[in-house]
Amino acid sequence: MSEATGLLSERWFARRGWQPFAFQREVWQAVAAGESGLLHASTGSGKTYAVWLGALQRFATDAAPGQPAPLAALWITPMRALAADTARALQAPLGELGLNWSVGLRTGDTDSAERARQGRRLPSVLVTTPESLTLLLTRADARQAFAGLRMLIVDEWHELLGNKRGVQLQLALARLRQWQPALIVWGLSATLGNLPHALEVLLHPGRGRLVEGRVDKPLVIDSLLPERIERFPWAGHLGLRMLPQVVAELDGAATSLVFTNTRSQAELWYQALLDARPDWAGLIALHHGSLAREVRDWVELGLKEGRLKAVVCTSSLDLGVDFLPVERVLQIGSPKGVARLLQRAGRSGHAPGRTSRVTLVPTHSLEVIEAAAAQQAVAERRIEAREAPQQPLDVLVQHLVSMALAGGFRPADLLGEVRQAWSYRQLPEGHWQWALAFVRHGGESLTAYPDYQRVEPDASGLWKVPSRRVALRHRMSIGTIVSDASLTVKFWAKSGSGRSLGSVEEGFIARLRPGDCFLFAGRLLELVRVENMTIYVNRASGRKAAVPRWNGGRMPLSSELADAVVEQLGAAGRGCFAGAEMRLVQPLLEVQRDWSALPNETTLLAEVLKSREGWHLFLYPFAGRHVHLGLASLLAWRMGRRQPVSFSIAVNDYGLELLAPTEVDWPGALGEGLFSTDDLLHDVLASLHAGELARRRFREIARIAGLVFSGYPGAQKSARQLQASSGLFFDVFRQYDPGNLLLNQAEEEVLRQELELDRLRQTLERLQQRRLDLRQVRRPTPLAFPLLVERFRESLSSEKLADRIRRMVAELDQAAGPGGYQPEPAAVPAVEREAPRARRPRARKDGRPRQKKKAPGPTPRP
Amino acid sequence: MTAHLAIDLCTTELWLLADKALYWPQQQALLVADIHFGKAAAYRRLGQPVPSGTTETNLARLDALLARYPARRLIFLGDFLHAPESHAPSTLARLAAWRSRHAGLRLTLIRGNHDRRAGDPPAGLGIEVHSEPLLLGPFALQHEPAPHPTHHVLAGHLHPAHRLRGRGRQSLRLPCFCIGERVSLLPAFGDFTGTAEVDAGPGRRLFLVGDGEIWPL
Repeated sequence: MSEATGLLSERWFARRGWQPFAFQREVWQAVAAGESGLLHASTGSGKTYAVWLGALQRFATDAAPGQPAPLAALWITPMRALAADTARALQAPLGELGLNWSVGLRTGDTDSAERARQGRRLPSVLVTTPESLTLLLTRADARQAFAGLRMLIVDEWHELLGNKRGVQLQLALARLRQWQPALIVWGLSATLGNLPHALEVLLHPGRGRLVEGRVDKPLVIDSLLPERIERFPWAGHLGLRMLPQVVAELDGAATSLVFTNTRSQAELWYQALLDARPDWAGLIALHHGSLAREVRDWVELGLKEGRLKAVVCTSSLDLGVDFLPVERVLQIGSPKGVARLLQRAGRSGHAPGRTSRVTLVPTHSLEVIEAAAAQQAVAERRIEAREAPQQPLDVLVQHLVSMALAGGFRPADLLGEVRQAWSYRQLPEGHWQWALAFVRHGGESLTAYPDYQRVEPDASGLWKVPSRRVALRHRMSIGTIVSDASLTVKFWAKSGSGRSLGSVEEGFIARLRPGDCFLFAGRLLELVRVENMTIYVNRASGRKAAVPRWNGGRMPLSSELADAVVEQLGAAGRGCFAGAEMRLVQPLLEVQRDWSALPNETTLLAEVLKSREGWHLFLYPFAGRHVHLGLASLLAWRMGRRQPVSFSIAVNDYGLELLAPTEVDWPGALGEGLFSTDDLLHDVLASLHAGELARRRFREIARIAGLVFSGYPGAQKSARQLQASSGLFFDVFRQYDPGNLLLNQAEEEVLRQELELDRLRQTLERLQQRRLDLRQVRRPTPLAFPLLVERFRESLSSEKLADRIRRMVAELDQAAGPGGYQPEPAAVPAVEREAPRARRPRARKDGRPRQKKKAPGPTPRP
Repeated sequence: MTAHLAIDLCTTELWLLADKALYWPQQQALLVADIHFGKAAAYRRLGQPVPSGTTETNLARLDALLARYPARRLIFLGDFLHAPESHAPSTLARLAAWRSRHAGLRLTLIRGNHDRRAGDPPAGLGIEVHSEPLLLGPFALQHEPAPHPTHHVLAGHLHPAHRLRGRGRQSLRLPCFCIGERVSLLPAFGDFTGTAEVDAGPGRRLFLVGDGEIWPL
């Protein structure tokens, strides 16, 4: 044991009867030597104490008695929910080691009394989020308040690295380093495929040490399989059928976490579990991001104390908090990625030396294949990488206003500082000038934005925010997490409002009327009234209820996992069905093989189908839903140049569908350079303009750059008159200021994040090498079926608008008249029964439909 | 091209125009709802950058309508100005210049919910301002679509649009006129405005506006 590191940290470990791991000692030594770095170790292996005791060892030992030491360390956590637990963990050694340090919290939840206290004096270590840190930096006395800062720790850096919150943190770090060049920075990260990149981004432009904590943590991945599977997989359909088995698994374990991929799914599963086991009321709980803070706190506490048998949750419980009693983790539906699966697995056996176990519960037949593939990918340690965004201008624009509030800035100085942040290290002068002009008068041409200004240089050349109203609005909007306008859900009480339950998005509630029921916070609720951005509800007892759908991002299947799936299918095609999962799906794959073919590593399977809905093309590149969307738009656009045609596009993680109401000669077209990478960027951009994607992506950018303001809390109704949808803003910008760089950014982000252009290019190159296996099918195959019933669709058209309107109006006329086309509600009922395809309703000789055997479906509109 | 479509409402001939306005030949009156002048300016005053140009476009569209139809009177069915902040010098200057080009035109505004907050337009624009309803012939001209005991209501406020669905899961959302038995709605004329979806029903006919044409459903 070396003299330098021994003492404090070793002493504390010894008192607890713990033996430090080598990686912990390595971090202690590095911090003692003033080094920065990134520590990577699996969840629950003791990362927190590696850096925290290092910090205390170096900075806390000379704390004088009396008032606790002034601010010396910042602990950044990605989730508010983690802050309180982190603070408790940091507090633990302080008392036992007799160090005169105080621990404080600063998040969006911090009350005003505590804020005021911190306004006078900050604690020795402050636990906070990237957003709250930026907000602290806008204080006029920020530099003085942070004068004693010596060390900054970023917890769960992998969660921030790849998104704009991470960029916001990079900018804050650049400022803090400006003030404190010797600042020691450490990141803590879970498993990532590209750790050196994570290190570089965090410490840019400096360097540091990468410490890998190799703790042998036993990991078990298994899956819960149904006895039989349906041959026509329908996303989400198999799900609840697995209920009895899930109940049995939960029954056998003391405490379990049941992870779902969406909040709606969590609500449904919680309700189903309660229905199956009413005696579990009070023993099982629900946890997701839209529930009220108090509800979530109660659940988290119950988990820690081991009072709960099971918690149904979403990614809201992915991170951090130590729930030591958790024995089992169940993953409902696709894990989507290897890193995510490992992260969730780590929630069980969350202590050094204990076994982590995750059980996959497929929600449709194809996910059974994914379960097999995931086990393979984990065994081979194929873990996804995450890349930091490149110079997002919306975050920069927000930062400029923040820094103008923080006592003002001089452009030349600030540019130097901003370029210290990795994401802006190559920020072009032109973009910088544009961003300055944008916050000053909206754009480069003064005439384009009369009466507008957010930031203005004063006589001495210091850029400041002159309007208090603008300042207030900006402070309230800091951050890069974008959600739809959401409404608070509260119980209705005669004397006013009752307890708050959480929040739902405006779009969901717009579809409900008073008296309608919906499932929320694990309760069946009846809508009473909607008033002042609040939904008042009563308990309900009916059975039929809607489940809110939150517009959370739908994660794509990672390349690593997708490749593993294709390998499983390829093996199946060669007649090899290894493992229980693959043997189970054998009948499904045999139907796929008999009706069409199985995709494999060297072929590209395409299926062409003509139905009453129109002409379908199904294609299975297995590249994840984002790439499929890009690919589908590209194919639709290239096809549209050959003939005027309108497409409806559906994608999932396995493939894509293009559906046209008029005939398309797919067999003729597929061979002819449709997959070419020539002019790729041009063609993808063109397809983007023809569709709706950029418009949707603009929503986030508009909100971050301050174009859309989500409103003052409790504002009067008239405030609503000043809200407009980002879609409208997008149209106005496109029409009147088409050179606006935020529009460019929307495009770039769609290309990079939504369509994953690089992955799209690689996919195209791969597809060109593969042999096209084109099958004319007579009915939807097992692989096609989930696409056919996918409701969320994009559209792309090269027809003249007037022609499209004319055709649709004519179809309505026909539907209303005798013997015409009947709109069909997808093929769901027909295939769900696994019956032969429903036949076209037979017509009488005069062409009128027979009265009795009317096709089910919505009544045609007049 | 069907740039306008004549319909018969309360035994009166009305022309539904593809540019989201209504022409009443007998009165030589042009009716326009929800133009929301100064909306972009109001955002700019609040620190949200919105490019200018929407006012010019709206005025140019009015010019085109006035050139094509022999209107002596232009009636705004409410929401003429968007917000108090819409009384911006640049917006008002444009409106004044436009007014001077149409000095002989009689202008009438039925106050809408936005006008009540924004305040009446400057007197210099020479606009007669009425509270709803303004009775004219068989019609009650209003902003909000509340039924009138004796007259058929022509109103705006809702910004109606309809989603047209077709084979191959195609759909298109288009602004529309919504002609009912007691209340009929005009689409929002303003360039920088949103829409709300409506469906046809018994006693309610829709006329969609798209690509410079008008499409009866």
